[in-house]
Amino acid sequence: MAEVTVNLTVNGSARSCVVEERTLLADALRDELELPGTHIGCDTSQCGCCTIMLNGSSVKSCTMLAVQAEGADIVTIEGLANGDELHPLQTAFSACHGLQCGFCTPGMIMASLELLKQHPDPSDEQIREGLSGNLCRCTGYTNIEAAVRAAAAAMGD
Amino acid sequence: MELMRHEDKRLITGTGKFTADWNRPDQLHAYVLRSDRAHAKLLAIDTTEALTANGVVSVLTASDITAAHFNTIPSGPDLKGVDDQAIIKSPLPILAIDRVRFVGQPVAMVIAESANLARDAAELIEVDYEDLPAVTSVDDALQSDTALHAAAPDNVSLHFESGDEKAVADAFASAAKTSQITIHSQRLAGAPMEPRALSAHYDAERDITTVCTPTQGMLGMRASLSAVTGVPQEQLDIVADDVGGSFGLRGGTLPEHAMLVLATRKLGRPVKWVSQRSELFIGEWHGRGLELKGSIALDADDRITAIRFEDTADLGAYNCYFGGFIGTNNLSVTMGGVYQVPALYMQSRLIYTNKVPVSAYRGAGRPDIAFAIERLIDHTAAEHGLDPVEFRRKNFVPKDAFPYTTANGSIYDCGDFESVMNRALKSADYAGFAARRKASTAAGKIRGIGFGCYVEKSGAGGAPRDDASCRFIDGRIHLFGVTGPSGQGHESTFARIISDGLGIPTDLISYRAGDSAQELIGNGTGGSRSLYGAGSAFKNLVQVVIDKATPHAAELLNVEPADVTFADGQFIGRNGAQGISLLHVAGKLKAVDGEHPLDSVAHTVTGANYPNGCHVAEIEIDPDTGVTELLAYTSVDDLGNVIHPELVRGQVHGGVVQGAGQAFCEQIVYDDSGQLLSGSFMDYAMPRAGTVHKMHNETYAVPTELNELGSKGVGESGCSGSLPAISNAMMDALRSVGVGSMDMPYTPDRLWKVLQQVKKSA
Repeated sequence: MAEVTVNLTVNGSARSCVVEERTLLADALRDELELPGTHIGCDTSQCGCCTIMLNGSSVKSCTMLAVQAEGADIVTIEGLANGDELHPLQTAFSACHGLQCGFCTPGMIMASLELLKQHPDPSDEQIREGLSGNLCRCTGYTNIEAAVRAAAAAMGD
Repeated sequence: MELMRHEDKRLITGTGKFTADWNRPDQLHAYVLRSDRAHAKLLAIDTTEALTANGVVSVLTASDITAAHFNTIPSGPDLKGVDDQAIIKSPLPILAIDRVRFVGQPVAMVIAESANLARDAAELIEVDYEDLPAVTSVDDALQSDTALHAAAPDNVSLHFESGDEKAVADAFASAAKTSQITIHSQRLAGAPMEPRALSAHYDAERDITTVCTPTQGMLGMRASLSAVTGVPQEQLDIVADDVGGSFGLRGGTLPEHAMLVLATRKLGRPVKWVSQRSELFIGEWHGRGLELKGSIALDADDRITAIRFEDTADLGAYNCYFGGFIGTNNLSVTMGGVYQVPALYMQSRLIYTNKVPVSAYRGAGRPDIAFAIERLIDHTAAEHGLDPVEFRRKNFVPKDAFPYTTANGSIYDCGDFESVMNRALKSADYAGFAARRKASTAAGKIRGIGFGCYVEKSGAGGAPRDDASCRFIDGRIHLFGVTGPSGQGHESTFARIISDGLGIPTDLISYRAGDSAQELIGNGTGGSRSLYGAGSAFKNLVQVVIDKATPHAAELLNVEPADVTFADGQFIGRNGAQGISLLHVAGKLKAVDGEHPLDSVAHTVTGANYPNGCHVAEIEIDPDTGVTELLAYTSVDDLGNVIHPELVRGQVHGGVVQGAGQAFCEQIVYDDSGQLLSGSFMDYAMPRAGTVHKMHNETYAVPTELNELGSKGVGESGCSGSLPAISNAMMDALRSVGVGSMDMPYTPDRLWKVLQQVKKSA
């Protein structure tokens, strides 16, 4: 199978990797760029664990090939904090006990980032809609919804 | 806002380490070829072409397993049934030998230079099958001429009974009222969010095989992997840093573990396997799969005189781990629920079908029996015009009757069932429901309220005791135990127990599970027992450390040891000198040969206890769409003493919503040929954000004296409360429009059809 070089900006740095044409972006991020914080929880794009920001919008990174991301500007969970300063969503997920095993958390946080971009002061309905593409098996979602509300409040201050 | 748990920092920054994140230099990748037939003779496997494919290093088949003298997968306890008949056990082979019995059964493993190449090559393996008729339901299995296993010609693995059949028959013969109900607890997928993964590495020089895998306890996994592979335990090292959920599914060795051990030892290179999600729906055991037929007898005063259950458990194709335990012991121990019932009798049959084997999934029978009893109680109340609250109140085990021995021999040590129910109904504003229903009716919606009073027996544990130890290194205290976390927050809870006891800030305390160098004994995570088992051991550890430190503190304080007291984290002498902290004492002492003078071990011996609670659900159905909203959910749980309220609430939330998942959407579906129809998250519906609109949780502690913390199990309680509460709410709503019965899952499609049917016949 032919291999291709892909050039990207990831978490602010220029990166490139050589991948098979069929390689999914999620796999390229994890295996080639050594950013395993983006998790893979299914093979049908239902779980949302692999959600990242691509050119400013949230994308499930298993829904596209790495080659399709040529030239893109990507932010993964590893790049969300500003140095040692956590993003308010990261703090809120912990403070509200919005994670247990933590496997879905990177995707949940990235999906929440998009949701708060669209709705800085989201209604319950908007939160549920915004998270409808992300599965969590541990928390029952109540505390995740609370975390999004808390982050919205912190970001609005 | 502050971070809540120790473990959170790495998990919110993407720096946790799950099994698939492990990569070793020169590693190979494995792919499992699985049966695509539900039932067939396996005549031949030709791997010639696959072996010559690009990048392929090896292909394992059953003959390799046989040559390595590996055993089968553990088939669970040796149960006895009616007339003392022993259970027939048909264990799952690591790779299919001459027959496949379910879609998904492992047939071969390809090992190649990349995961893609291994997968590509698997398509080149030619398997010659001869199809056999598939048995795809319990009814089928009981009627069919086809037997899955020669040892069980009627497809029955065990016919089990518990209680006094005659006493129950007598009670029914003289009953003033009787009632009965059949409920189904459908097959489910446990679906932890982290797909199962493995990384195995053989170090020939040290003769150690290291296996990274998501597990509920490293030592249990090591023991079972040793039993399956024959590799001595001391030559196996199990590693699990972060585990992405377990829910009962990650307790023991499955075929892939054994195959990877064989592969890495044979090939001398690390081997990695990461499952696909769709592969887990057919390659990791299922949960539930029970039918429970309950009958109840009442006297003229509406007191319960007997309860009888006749159950069937769909075992799937093989006996696997706890599969046999669920449909027998775990149903019978609390079959009288929270009620004083003079006569109890249960019989059940464990049945083979050509489906994925069933084993533990959150509660493992506990939610199912709680669901069945509380549906039976509600159904009886509705049938005979009794008030469901007063009917329960009249029959509760009264709080002055503890310890209470049930008619089939379980001993409930403590509880206050009536107060728990009263509190729940008050918090849920049960009294105000009529007005809310009226408003819903006016808006064209169907509203219902329901509650369930559950009691469950938490895990007794298989290990003889639970150990806890600590080591003092560089001004920090490192805790060690056996129970392995998968989201519960062990690192935070155990740290809190030590912090509260020794006055050491929690950020100076860490927890590590299953470090074999510590040589500890204990149970893994399971049966809701980590807190009251390992947690109690940590509570005992506090006193051991204080006792060890006291003479040293006395020396530093210049007093006699007898004159030293420890309070609020300070050693204080009677001479009035300023107190000193434990860490101060520890800092003055030097480690010798890597061992600090205050390093300590403690343990506890404790078995099961009886968490209980009352959960109230309020739902609203839109008859035009069949969509149900879970508007409000209230739980009041007696979990004994609570150590970390936020984490306990989190456990309840998660359990409740797993129950809501079963109630509203989750369902494993097979077609008549034994093909799985719900094999991905596209077909297997999972609960999502917004499943519960308003969640309210309280605890009502009746501390148990069965362990040092006075705590009861929490992990499985949410499911045990939510299945009956939600179903009773659904039936309350459905009865109001003339629907007499309906099974889970209450999907919009099924509900809409049921409602249309009623409309037509009206």
